[in-house]
Amino acid sequence: MTVTRLDYGQRYRPRMAFLKKIEPLMMEMQDPDTGVKTQTQRVMITNIPHAVTGNDVMQWILQRLQITQEEALHLGDLFVKYGYIYPLQEPKNLTLKTDSSLYRFQTPYFWPAQSWPADDTDYAIYLAKKNIKRKGILEEYEKEHYNMLNQKINYKWDFVIMQAKEQYKAGKERKKADRYALDCQERAYWLVNRTPPGVLDVLEYGVDRVTDPNENKKKTMDVYRREIMYYQQSIMKSRVKSSVSLGGLVKYSEQFLSNDPLLSGCLPSNPWITDDPEFWDLNAKLVEIPTRMRVERWAFNFSELIRDPKGRQNFQLFLKKEFSGENLSFWEACEDLKYGDQSKVKEKAEEIYKLFLAPGARRWINIDGTTMGITVRGLKHPHRYVLDAAQTHIYMLMKKDSYGRYLKSPIYKEMLAKAVVPQETVKKSSGFPFGRRHLRSSPSPVILRQQEEEAKAREAATTVDITQPCHHAAQAPHPAVYTGTSTPPSTPAAPACPPAALPPSTACPSPITVAFGSTAGAEKEREPQDPSPFPSSSGRSRMAALSFGRFLKRGCWTSPVFATLSPKCPAMPHGKVQPLGEREQQLWTDTKAVSSFFQIKMDGPLESRICPIDSEKGEDNRHRACLRP
Amino acid sequence: MVKEECKALLDALNKVTACYRHMVLTIGGTSDSQNLREELKKTRQKAQELAVANRNKLTTVLKDKSVSKEDKAEFERLWVIFSTCLEILEIDMRRALELGHEFPLNVPKKHLIQTGMSGGTSGVAARAMSVQNMKYEAERNIDVVDLKDLENEINQVGEMMYEMEMKVNVPQWTVEAKQDPGAELKSTISVGASSIGMISVEENKSFCDISKVLAGIIFSAVLIIAIVLAVCVVKLS
Repeated sequence: MTVTRLDYGQRYRPRMAFLKKIEPLMMEMQDPDTGVKTQTQRVMITNIPHAVTGNDVMQWILQRLQITQEEALHLGDLFVKYGYIYPLQEPKNLTLKTDSSLYRFQTPYFWPAQSWPADDTDYAIYLAKKNIKRKGILEEYEKEHYNMLNQKINYKWDFVIMQAKEQYKAGKERKKADRYALDCQERAYWLVNRTPPGVLDVLEYGVDRVTDPNENKKKTMDVYRREIMYYQQSIMKSRVKSSVSLGGLVKYSEQFLSNDPLLSGCLPSNPWITDDPEFWDLNAKLVEIPTRMRVERWAFNFSELIRDPKGRQNFQLFLKKEFSGENLSFWEACEDLKYGDQSKVKEKAEEIYKLFLAPGARRWINIDGTTMGITVRGLKHPHRYVLDAAQTHIYMLMKKDSYGRYLKSPIYKEMLAKAVVPQETVKKSSGFPFGRRHLRSSPSPVILRQQEEEAKAREAATTVDITQPCHHAAQAPHPAVYTGTSTPPSTPAAPACPPAALPPSTACPSPITVAFGSTAGAEKEREPQDPSPFPSSSGRSRMAALSFGRFLKRGCWTSPVFATLSPKCPAMPHGKVQPLGEREQQLWTDTKAVSSFFQIKMDGPLESRICPIDSEKGEDNRHRACLRP
Repeated sequence: MVKEECKALLDALNKVTACYRHMVLTIGGTSDSQNLREELKKTRQKAQELAVANRNKLTTVLKDKSVSKEDKAEFERLWVIFSTCLEILEIDMRRALELGHEFPLNVPKKHLIQTGMSGGTSGVAARAMSVQNMKYEAERNIDVVDLKDLENEINQVGEMMYEMEMKVNVPQWTVEAKQDPGAELKSTISVGASSIGMISVEENKSFCDISKVLAGIIFSAVLIIAIVLAVCVVKLS
């Protein structure tokens, strides 16, 4: 038994509702008084009645529906295309000609209806019948279909042959003229339903739905419950006034009009027209000197800046100067988590936590307590959107705070000044009109990706130069909050960026932020470890003073430094945070805070480190030199 | 023996289905009439009887464990042909129902579609019922009355098909067609020869007729002239 089709009645595809509307029109056309006038078609010596001219059909439509000529012609054409009327003189050309070319109405059985799609078995029977009649002369595409069907429904093939023969014999019982008309009808039907190659399949409507949206479902409790939920949610949906949204749309269009290469042309030239890929080269992802249009675009809004990789790069430079570069790095890391390799979600989340979120992390970002709490809780079961809350917070922070300053900063202004305005190139008229145009292929995506990764690696290398080797020098086992692996704490992020005069300030702000920021986590950590009973506020203020002092020197007195102290007090469970507490202790014990600090630092077992101690020592000297009055 | 009987029954069902299809094609067209509706009714009732007979025969055979393997394969093939035939019949019945609703015959406002058909389908019906001439004895409004019966019969056929599916387990795809593609050409070549290109053949025939008539006329004319001449000769001499 063939799998019976589901009832794909017309209710499933409202798109085809017009079929049911054409039918009454067809029936009206048959009225002997008000319908279309019929003539007789003369085929050789037989007369077959009920032929109509194309012109008559169109006139009738015009008169009946009171529409324009163009519309009437189009509608009539559709009637022919959908198979309600078929042409007699040129059967394969399914168009309505408004001259005296003849057409005839199709029998209702062959009218298109969605509930009765044309069946493969029927088509096979038709082809077999045609084979019998024409003694094997079929069109090419029909032959292909025949062979294909023979394979597809091979088990029914005996039936197909039997039925074809029987239908053929049964047809002989009819009048000759009727037989001819029947043949024309069937041929017309299959021309519409199994179109020859190159002809548009008008009955194509896309994928069928499986369920009927208008089905009368029994109203059970469950149905009502779902309905209530649905309506409640619809009420709660926030709505925007159309005037507001349209205004926004207009504003956007006006702002971006000049940037649209299709509407406003592009400089130097449209590569598709002039065959000159300079436009693409100039607008490459991380090009050295971007175009002016691009740089100006960064000033439109923050999302434009952050979307552009070059913009991000520039922004990162600025943020580094402001010591908030970790924000953008964190944002980028979150994006990578969301859109990157999902099999590595766990590791990536851990790394991000260690690097950005853990209390005392090397590049600690400043987010509020609730968000931190949510994130940390979520990290127990990491998935790709686990850092969404934190990411949004950082995004808004950058947008509201740093972005404004960035646009006024010298970095942006410099970039704007450097930006190039390409010259418009003249369309090269090819010397030989018949000459072969030299086709250049764009660089392969594999190569592009490699270049990107190299660039990224270079960036990473220049910014985190020194810290990399110290990365794995674990000093004391710090059980991080949720991972069991011992992580090397922060490494001394000593400034060692040759080109930039600025030290990698990513780690610098942390003591300040730690000092100023009231992270519950940090506080919490501090309390249990700190046996000294001094009130946290005073300790903080002292730390604040010291932090400020250090900040002035632009040194990197960061938790890595604190971490170096950790070996001194091995009994501290939370190595990452304890530096703070320890520092306080030290401060408390030493009167000359600053110098003692230096001394402590000097006493620290720095030699045991693999890190470039020279630079550190150099810095110490520098600082000492500065501080010693 | 059993095989031949089964085949014969199946052929009969096949014939009736083909005729039914022909008749359903004409519903709503200009050769539609009360007679057609009656023919439809009779044909489908016959089809149903044949279907039931087929089913009984085939199910008994298929349930019989003692048939040989080749025989079983053959019966399975027949079963597949039978079930496909029944599907086509059911679809045609459904369409007949739909079209019957759309084109009631006695409503003056609703006009039949001018499809170019002028002749009737009595020949087809006679073929289906295997009689020489069809007798029409139904009432005037059979087109409306019959629809209810048609609905019931459709349900019956549906149920029968469902039962068949449940009771007999014949996987369709395992059946291989005996006939190759293009088999219809070889076997019906004799049939085809007699009606090549329909109209042109008829044309030839009619032309032949005309030429025969002409020849007869000329011959008779010549004969008359000869007789007249002979009479003249006789009279003169």
